[in-house]
Amino acid sequence: MKILNLAVIASLLVLAVSPMMYSLNANAADKEEVNSVATLRDSTPIDTQKEPNAIPKVINKDIKQGRNYPMQPPVIPHTTRSYEVNTNNNKCMSCHSRHRTEKSQAPMVSVTHYMDRDGNFLADVSPRRYFCNQCHVTQLDAEPLVENTFIDMHSIMKKKTDTAEKH
Amino acid sequence: MTKKTEEITSEYHVASFVAYPIAEQLDEVKEAILNVEGTEIHATSEEGKIVFTIEGNSYRDIGSKMDVIRVHKGMINLSPVYHQILDESIENEQIYKEIK
Amino acid sequence: MTLNRREFIKANAIAAAAAVAGVSVPAVASNLITSSDITKLKWDKAPCRFCGTGCSVNVGVMDGKVVATHGDIKSPVNKGLNCVKGYFLSKIMYGKDRLTTPLLRMTNGKYDKEGEFAPVSWDQAFNVMAEKAKDALKKDGPEALGMFGSGQWTVQEGYAAVKLMKAGFRTNNIDPNARHCMASAVGGFMRTFGIDEPMGCYDDLEAADAFVLWGSNMAEMHPILWTRLTDRRLSAPHVKVAVLSTFEHRSFDLADNGMIFTPQTDLAILNFIANYIIKTDRVNKDFVSKHTNFRLGETDIGYGLRPEHELEQKAKNNGKTKGSSTPIDFDEYAKFVSTYTVEYVSKLSGVPEHKLEALAELYADPKIKVTSFWTMGFNQHTRGVWANNLCYNIHLLTGKISEPGNSPFSLTGQPSACGTAREVGTFSHRLPADMVVKNPKHRAIAEKIWDLPEGTVPAKPGYHAALQNRMLKDGKLNFYWVQCNNNMQAAANMNEEGYPGYRNPKNFIVVSDPYPTVTAQAADLILPTAMWVEKEGVYGNAERRTQSWYQMVEAPEGAKSDLWQLVEFSKRFKVEEVWPEELIAKKPEVRGKTLFDVLYKDSAAGKFSLDEIPEDRLNHESRDFGFYIQKGLFEEYATFGRGHAHDLAPYDQYHKERGLRWPVVNGVETKWRFKEGSDPYAKKGSGWDFYGKPDGRAIIFALPYEPAAESPDEEYDLWLSTGRVLEHWHSGSMTQRVPELYKAMPDALVYMHPDDAKKRGMRRGDLVKLISRRGEVQTRVETRGRNKPPIGLVFMPWFDASRLVNKVTLDATDPLSKQTDFKKCAIKIVKV
Repeated sequence: MKILNLAVIASLLVLAVSPMMYSLNANAADKEEVNSVATLRDSTPIDTQKEPNAIPKVINKDIKQGRNYPMQPPVIPHTTRSYEVNTNNNKCMSCHSRHRTEKSQAPMVSVTHYMDRDGNFLADVSPRRYFCNQCHVTQLDAEPLVENTFIDMHSIMKKKTDTAEKH
Repeated sequence: MTKKTEEITSEYHVASFVAYPIAEQLDEVKEAILNVEGTEIHATSEEGKIVFTIEGNSYRDIGSKMDVIRVHKGMINLSPVYHQILDESIENEQIYKEIK
Repeated sequence: MTLNRREFIKANAIAAAAAVAGVSVPAVASNLITSSDITKLKWDKAPCRFCGTGCSVNVGVMDGKVVATHGDIKSPVNKGLNCVKGYFLSKIMYGKDRLTTPLLRMTNGKYDKEGEFAPVSWDQAFNVMAEKAKDALKKDGPEALGMFGSGQWTVQEGYAAVKLMKAGFRTNNIDPNARHCMASAVGGFMRTFGIDEPMGCYDDLEAADAFVLWGSNMAEMHPILWTRLTDRRLSAPHVKVAVLSTFEHRSFDLADNGMIFTPQTDLAILNFIANYIIKTDRVNKDFVSKHTNFRLGETDIGYGLRPEHELEQKAKNNGKTKGSSTPIDFDEYAKFVSTYTVEYVSKLSGVPEHKLEALAELYADPKIKVTSFWTMGFNQHTRGVWANNLCYNIHLLTGKISEPGNSPFSLTGQPSACGTAREVGTFSHRLPADMVVKNPKHRAIAEKIWDLPEGTVPAKPGYHAALQNRMLKDGKLNFYWVQCNNNMQAAANMNEEGYPGYRNPKNFIVVSDPYPTVTAQAADLILPTAMWVEKEGVYGNAERRTQSWYQMVEAPEGAKSDLWQLVEFSKRFKVEEVWPEELIAKKPEVRGKTLFDVLYKDSAAGKFSLDEIPEDRLNHESRDFGFYIQKGLFEEYATFGRGHAHDLAPYDQYHKERGLRWPVVNGVETKWRFKEGSDPYAKKGSGWDFYGKPDGRAIIFALPYEPAAESPDEEYDLWLSTGRVLEHWHSGSMTQRVPELYKAMPDALVYMHPDDAKKRGMRRGDLVKLISRRGEVQTRVETRGRNKPPIGLVFMPWFDASRLVNKVTLDATDPLSKQTDFKKCAIKIVKV
C-alpha cells in the first residue's frame, strides 16, 4: 500500500508538473524567438547536421502517467523488450488480462476492450484489440524538443473556479 | 471456504453503458440493472435503449457487475461506452462551484 | 450548486452514453455539463488528421480549446477505435512554436533572400508575394509560377488552388505531395480500368478468406484497418494472411505466410502468380472472355531521371511511347508469363518455392475470396504503375473483383489524397473528375463550369513534383508556393535538387505551415497556417468515403487557413495582369475585375449566403469573404462528377453522416463499383461493367520484371529503404510536437541486420553515417527494433527533422506516374 501511495503521488506530481517540465527551451520566449525556424532540428542549417544523440532508454519505472483526457490509452510505464504479440502468443495479456491481474497486480484492460465491432459484448478481449501496441506505447527517456501547451479539461475548470473565487 | 476479500482501493470507477433489450422485456431488464449495486438508469430512448451507469471501486468491481447484467436473458446487446477512474487518495476533493 | 469531481466525470459518462443511444442528455447530466459555464464541453465529429484510413473522431472543445477526442463509435470505418496517433489529436495544434505571424527574409527592412526571418504583417506578405508573382509572369510567363500542394488539403482548398493556378494564373505547374504517394496507383487504375480509385471498400475486410499485403505495413500505417483484418483473421480460423515485404516488420506478427523478397522482384512474383493460375488451369475463362482485353506494354522505359543521366540515355523507350501498348490475345499473354516459373522467380526474389506456391494458391483457388492490399511498396517504385497493373491482372484472370472479399485494394496513404488530390485533380496534368488538361473536351467542360472563356485552361501538362525541384534548381520556376506539406524533408535527393532549388537566388519561395518546419527554413516567406478543426473542410479517404467537419476552435491569432490564403491572395490580381488581351476580349465583363471576383465571388462558388451558417458556428473564411465559401466551392466542384460516375452527395448531407462512399446516387452510396446491382453505373445485364473503358472491358497487361534504378554494388553495398513508423505522421511536424508521441520514438534510427552491423564493426547504438552518391546523413544503429531487415538491406524512417534521410535517396521515378521510388537506392554505412 505504501508503494501504491508513492506511485500515486508521483503520478499526480507528473501531471501537475508536466506543463512546466518541458519549458527548458522556450523560457518566457518573445514572439520572435518562438517563431524561429525548424525548431525540431534546433534551427541547424539544412546542409549540416548536429551529432545525433545516443539512443535513449525506455522508461521502466512502472509509475502510471496521468492521462490527458479520460479516453486516452495509457502509455506503457515499463519496458516491453522482447514481449511478443503474434498469432502464437500475446505477452501483454499474460499480466493484464482479467484473470491474471490478481496475481500480477497489473492494471486490467478496460471494459471497452471486450466490445466487438458491432457493439456486442464478448467474454474475452475482442480480437480487434489484439495488437496492444497500436494504441499503447512505451516512453523513452528523452526531453521533448518543443513544449506542448495543451491544457486538460480539469485544469481549465480549476482555473476558472480559482478565478471565480478571487472575485 | 475462504474467500479473498474484495480489494478496496482508493479508486472511484464510473462506467456508462447502452443496453438494448428485447422490447417486451424492457422493464425486466431495467429491474435487473437496478438490482445491481451502484447502478443508475438515466434515460431510455424511443427505440428502447437504456442509458445507465455503474459505479464501483475497481476494474474487477465494474467487470463483475457488468457480467451480471450482461447475461440477462432479455438482453440483446450491451455496449460499454465510457469508463473513467478517479484516484481519490488525495486529501482535498476538488470542488467546482458554479459561477453566478 | 457545487459539483465535485466524481459528479463531473459521472456526468461525462452519462453524456457519452446518451450520445451513443441517441437520446438527449438527461437533466441530471445536462445540469452539470451544459448549463454550467465552467463545465461546458461541446462535442462534434471530424475525420482524423492523419492517414488514409479516415477514422472519425469526436472532438471535445472547452473554452475554445480542444481538450479531448475519442474514436467515433458511429463511424463504420473505426467503430470507436483510433490508433495511438489518433488518440493524441487533441494535442497536435498546441506545439508552443505555432507560427502566428508571416515571416520574411529581410535585411534593413527589405526583402533579401540571404536575410534573416523577421515578422511582417499579412498585408506586407501579400504585397511581396504579388510583386514576385507578377515579376515572374512578366518575365517568363505562367510557366515560371508553381505550386506544391497536398493530399492533406481539404477538398475546398485543393479546388480553390486548381482554379487559381489553372484558370487564374493559367499554369499547370500545380502538383500535390500525393505525387509521392499515389501517382502510380492512379496510373495503374487509369491504364487498367480507365477510371480512378478502388472498386472495393473496407467491407471487404470482414468478408475475405485471405489477405495479401504487398509491401504494405498495415500494422503501423493503416492501424485501424489492421484491427479489422486482425479481427477477421482471429475470429475465423480458415482465414489466411500472407505478407510480402523487403524486410520483416510488425505486420508479419499476424502472417501465416511471411515472405521477404529482393527489392523490385515483386514484379516477377506477380507474373509468377499469373503463370501459376494459367498453368493450373484456374483462369476464370467466362469472366476473362466477357470482361477483359489483353495488351502488351512498352518496356525499357527509363527511370524518370534528368535526360542527361546515363540511365536515361540507355533507355530505349523513355520518350512519348513509354505508356503505349499493343493488343494481344490470351495465348500470347500466357506465353509471355510462362517464363516466370517458380524456380526462376524463387531464385530471383529469394522467396522459397513452397511459399510462392502457397501465395499463388490463394489467388488460383476459386473458392478463396482474396483481398490484396498495397501502398508505398508498389507505388513508390520505378515500375509502380506496372506493379499496380500486374496485381489487377491476377484478380482479373480469376474474376476476383468488385465483390465482397474479392478485392484488389490500393490503400491510400494520406487523409485526402483521394478526396482532394486525385478527385479534384490538383496535378500538373489533371482537372477534376479524372479529366486531363490535354483533352480539349475536358478543358471545355471545366471552362463551362467555371464560366470562363474558351482557351483559359492551358493544354500543356506542367511540372510534376520531382520536375518542380529540378526546375527550381535550373532557375526556370521562379515563384513557388508550398502549402500543407514538408517537401524539403520529404522529397528525394535533397542535396542535388531540392535544397539548391529553394535557395536559388532567382526564385521566391513561399511556405504555408502551422509550424516552423525544414521546408519553412528553406523558404523566403513563411505564412502561419490554421490546421484541422480550426477550419471547416472535407476529406476523402481510401475507400472513397467523403467526410466533412465544421470549424470547432479559432486558430491562434494571426494564423489563417490555406483556403483563406489562396482566396485572399487572388484579390491582388486584376484580370488584365494575368490574362492576355485575346482572352479577356472573349469575355469583356471581366475587365477590371480581380481573380477573386472571377474565380470565387462571382462564380458558382460564391452563390451560398452567410445566412446558411448558424450564428453560433465558427467559420472564419466565410465571414471574412462574405459568402459561404466552403459550401460554394464544394457544390461547384461536385458539378464535375455528378452524372459521371463520381457523384457526390449534397454538401449539407455529409455533415449529417459519417461520410458517404461515392458514387452517391439518389442518396445511396456505392460499396462495390463496376458490379451490376451494386454500382448504379454498371449497365443492366452486364454482370461486371468496367465503364471507365469505352468497351467496358478492363485490361490485362503483359509487363516484365525490370531491375531497379540503383542496385547495390561493390562500393555502395546496401539497399536503403525509407518509410514511416506508427507513432509519427510523415515528417513529424505534428506528432513530434506531442510529448507522448515524441517520447515513444524521438529519433529516426537505421534498422540493420545484426550480422551486417557486426561485419562493419558496429553495435547497436553506434553513431554511423549513411552515404550515397548524392549525400550523407548521420544516425544511430538499431539491431533489435520492430523492423528486422535481411542482410543487405537497411531501413530508415523519414519523420526526423534532424536526421534527413532524403539527403541520401535518389530521385528516380516511375516514368509513367512520375512518382519517386523512395524504397530503393544504394548506400554504404560507415562508423563515425
